Amino acid sequence: MKLSATLFLFLACLASAGVFPYPVHKKTLPNGLDVVVIETPEFKDVLSYNTMVMAGSGREEEKGKTGLAHLFEHILFRHRYAAEEGGYDDRMGKLGTDNNAWTWFDVTYYHPLTFTRNLERRGKAGLPGLAELESSRFTALDFSEKTFKTESGAVLGEYRRLASFPSEKMSERLAALMFPNHPYGHTTMGYYEDVADMPNHFEAAKKFYGTYYRPNNCALIVAGDVKAGEIFKAVEPYYKEWKPQPIPTVKQARGSQKEELREHVAWDADVAPLVWVAYRMPAFELGSKNAAAAELLSELLVSPAAPLYKRLRYEKQLASSLGFEEGTRGFESFDPRALVVSAELYKEKHAQKGKAYFSEVAQEIVSELDALKGFSKDPKAKELLKNLKNKYRYDFLAVLSSPGNIAGAFSWYYRFNRSPSALDQLLDSVEALKPEDIDKFAQAWFIPENRAILTLAYEKGK
Amino acid sequence: MKNLILCLFLSGAVSRSGAVSTVALDSPSPLVKIKIMVKAGSAQDPKGLEGAAALTGFLAIQGNSGDPARPLTKERLAEITRPWGSGAYPTVSVSKETTVFSFTIPREALSQYLDQVLAPLMTKPLFDAKELDRVRQEFLQSLRSDLRFQQIENLGLVALDNYIYEGTPYAHPDMGTEAGLKTVDRYGLMRFYRTYYRPENVVIGLSIQDSGLKARLEKIAVGMGEAEAGPFPAEPAAVPAPVSGRQVLVVGLPNAISTGIHAGFPLPLTRKDEDFWPLYVGNVWFGTHRDSFSHLYQVVREERGYNYGDYSYIEHFEGRPANLFPPFNTPRRSQCFSVWVRPVGHAYAGHILRAITWELENFIRRGMSEEECALAKNKAKVLYLSLAETADRMLASRLDDEFYGMSPGYLPGYLSRIEAVKCSEVNAAIKKYLQARDLKYLIVTHSAQAPKIIEQIVSDAPVWGKTPADYQIDVKEEDGRKLYLVPEPKLDILRRDALWADYSLGISRDRARVVPAEKMFEISDLPR
Repeated sequence: MKLSATLFLFLACLASAGVFPYPVHKKTLPNGLDVVVIETPEFKDVLSYNTMVMAGSGREEEKGKTGLAHLFEHILFRHRYAAEEGGYDDRMGKLGTDNNAWTWFDVTYYHPLTFTRNLERRGKAGLPGLAELESSRFTALDFSEKTFKTESGAVLGEYRRLASFPSEKMSERLAALMFPNHPYGHTTMGYYEDVADMPNHFEAAKKFYGTYYRPNNCALIVAGDVKAGEIFKAVEPYYKEWKPQPIPTVKQARGSQKEELREHVAWDADVAPLVWVAYRMPAFELGSKNAAAAELLSELLVSPAAPLYKRLRYEKQLASSLGFEEGTRGFESFDPRALVVSAELYKEKHAQKGKAYFSEVAQEIVSELDALKGFSKDPKAKELLKNLKNKYRYDFLAVLSSPGNIAGAFSWYYRFNRSPSALDQLLDSVEALKPEDIDKFAQAWFIPENRAILTLAYEKGK
Repeated sequence: MKNLILCLFLSGAVSRSGAVSTVALDSPSPLVKIKIMVKAGSAQDPKGLEGAAALTGFLAIQGNSGDPARPLTKERLAEITRPWGSGAYPTVSVSKETTVFSFTIPREALSQYLDQVLAPLMTKPLFDAKELDRVRQEFLQSLRSDLRFQQIENLGLVALDNYIYEGTPYAHPDMGTEAGLKTVDRYGLMRFYRTYYRPENVVIGLSIQDSGLKARLEKIAVGMGEAEAGPFPAEPAAVPAPVSGRQVLVVGLPNAISTGIHAGFPLPLTRKDEDFWPLYVGNVWFGTHRDSFSHLYQVVREERGYNYGDYSYIEHFEGRPANLFPPFNTPRRSQCFSVWVRPVGHAYAGHILRAITWELENFIRRGMSEEECALAKNKAKVLYLSLAETADRMLASRLDDEFYGMSPGYLPGYLSRIEAVKCSEVNAAIKKYLQARDLKYLIVTHSAQAPKIIEQIVSDAPVWGKTPADYQIDVKEEDGRKLYLVPEPKLDILRRDALWADYSLGISRDRARVVPAEKMFEISDLPR
């Protein structure tokens, strides 16, 4: 079999300590903006140009004004480039970009995709290039209050499209239950009444932008068929005037939970019942044993080979689905958030057993997490851990399938320590795990005082 | 642009060994992708056994396989594949006309994987009765709970298929109907497998060039045809009866806080036809999915803030609520044109229904300018970056090429075909294939709102949407009258609003009906 140079690179990386197969180049501008370039030349002509703002809904501290980070993600697409209404969108369309963004608790991420040649303006009379257009909306956003109000209608539409999902309401209630004194206590979308009232939050929104959209709180991550030196040279002039300022931190409220929390949600359509078992988790400290152990929980608990999964879905057939509600993203966070094991139950069994059915499933989940406290006692623990590490590494490689996906995976972890080797640190920490580390993690975190159990069922007329 | 090659492994080869077709790329990744497409899906479900195709696919993986004395169970499957990554656990997707199995395997594990996993799954499925009962319960729950009551956007999209393709094998959801799922037994699945899972009905996709691997996979495919299956059964046509005039079906939910709107009609072309490409460029301008570039998105969402997005399609787009770009491996011989308006406030449904119809009619009437065509072509080329983003997508696309019999294939020929499109061809295709006269509308709303929306639809009185105050137009009192200070750009919006409000849909009361969500998908036919 003839192997290409890229494959050799992949295989060589797999065999060595460093798994991330692409060179990462970083330059921090004087104003604090990190510019990171990942060269992936095999993706010919592709330019993935990503701006990561390290603030999301987890920085919305003012009561009654939730959802602003997400709204601002929308507003940035309405930027008046060259003082023209719709000017940014118009130029991006003419240039030819696929342009989108997403908001999460800690991060707002903008990820236009285009051809490499569109990075810079072609000729004095040509269209502005991507670097010029993107920098203009971050460094000098221009939008009217009227546009703000119109766009808030689109955000309300986004809330409406999600409102039929019981899991959205469960997320909302669980966040409020577990984090009453932290902005993590509301979802990224925000409360319905706040979203509906958004047209009146213009000043608060501007303040959010002015506080968090600062170069020292952002990173520009470029991946694709590019050369690092050329990117550094091309982008710096557009960002250098962007003014930094100190970024406030959210006050860490001390946890006051003394015992397990419980809540039930009555739903007004005939959907399947739900049980969520949540545990508070530590803040994600990249490279730490805690973070590494947390990365393997999904495989230990809710994968098709996990004992809990087999018991609930196959042997006892108590659940029609089982998973982590937010994947690992739920606890890969700046401040402590939660692991949420979610199970969808059968309507017929709920009709027969009632509340006892909820307790039975919740107890199965709690027991399995408790069992991890003695993980190392299993004679096959070492072999199992080795298999889990292999799986983790292959799953990681599978994600690196395009410049956009490579930049996305890198950015997600880069934000924790701003190191070009962030991904290798993560993978090294997982590789170094011992069975006893799983025990210690479970003993520290899977305790009743960290737990919340939320249930949902259809109750006609409620 | 003409010579652009996005990825070095886009180039690939198609070969036929005996009855088996194989497409192979040349990806450098250490993870090898294998896809096996069986050219049979939910449209091949026998009448009354809707769900047979989906259950056959899922049971091939989860219903035990190999030696009955020591079968490869789903539990063993999970244990064996775990060290090789999540992708090594096989997945299956069932659509109208195809069933596609996907496997992602580290190169060093390929040989072992073929022997221990892929061969028994594909050639010796046992369709265990207990596993069938379990999966059947999961499917029924998904249909009764998730599809009917949770995913109101998806409910609308699946129901539109049901409505447009009424009376054809496309009418029911891919997962089946409630009655079909309850009825089908393991012998039904065995019959489906014997009938359709055989070499001449299979296309193999491989992400690397490896003649040894290819030969082994083709041998496995030949092994699928060991049983004598006889000729393929005659199939009823998937082409629906033409829509005549306008009609509307309203699906009522007990708790919808907003109203979703869909409309469509059958199209007599697929991506294999020459006219597809100019029509594709036209549709990019009118309604590109999830993109502010398009006209519908601009006038409904951007200018007026009614909802999250508004799009149009000339091909089926599976999983629209979640996917930013159309997934491959859902090919269809019969396609339809459709418009999707994401949920709007209940009060605006009647107005927006008029709006999209007026906009479609106006689009056909005025066509596109040279400048608009150039912009749409530019946008279409950029979409290619995402359509061909990964090796997985490219491989999946090559399987679809085999289904359609396209050469050059969809992605290999995409950029040059877009480049070759002339604006005159775009306008000719719009006039030839699009129309706003014969439409089926599908609306999903709150049960209590349904009668009010029907009233708005059949009414000849103007139906207004947002007010000047909603548009933040300043107003002052003068001589006891309100004087609106309308800036020029807003004036255009108000003029267009008036056209929409006054537009008559011409739908009589007998062509508008309401069905409750809990009655949907009991059988293939729509509830009466």
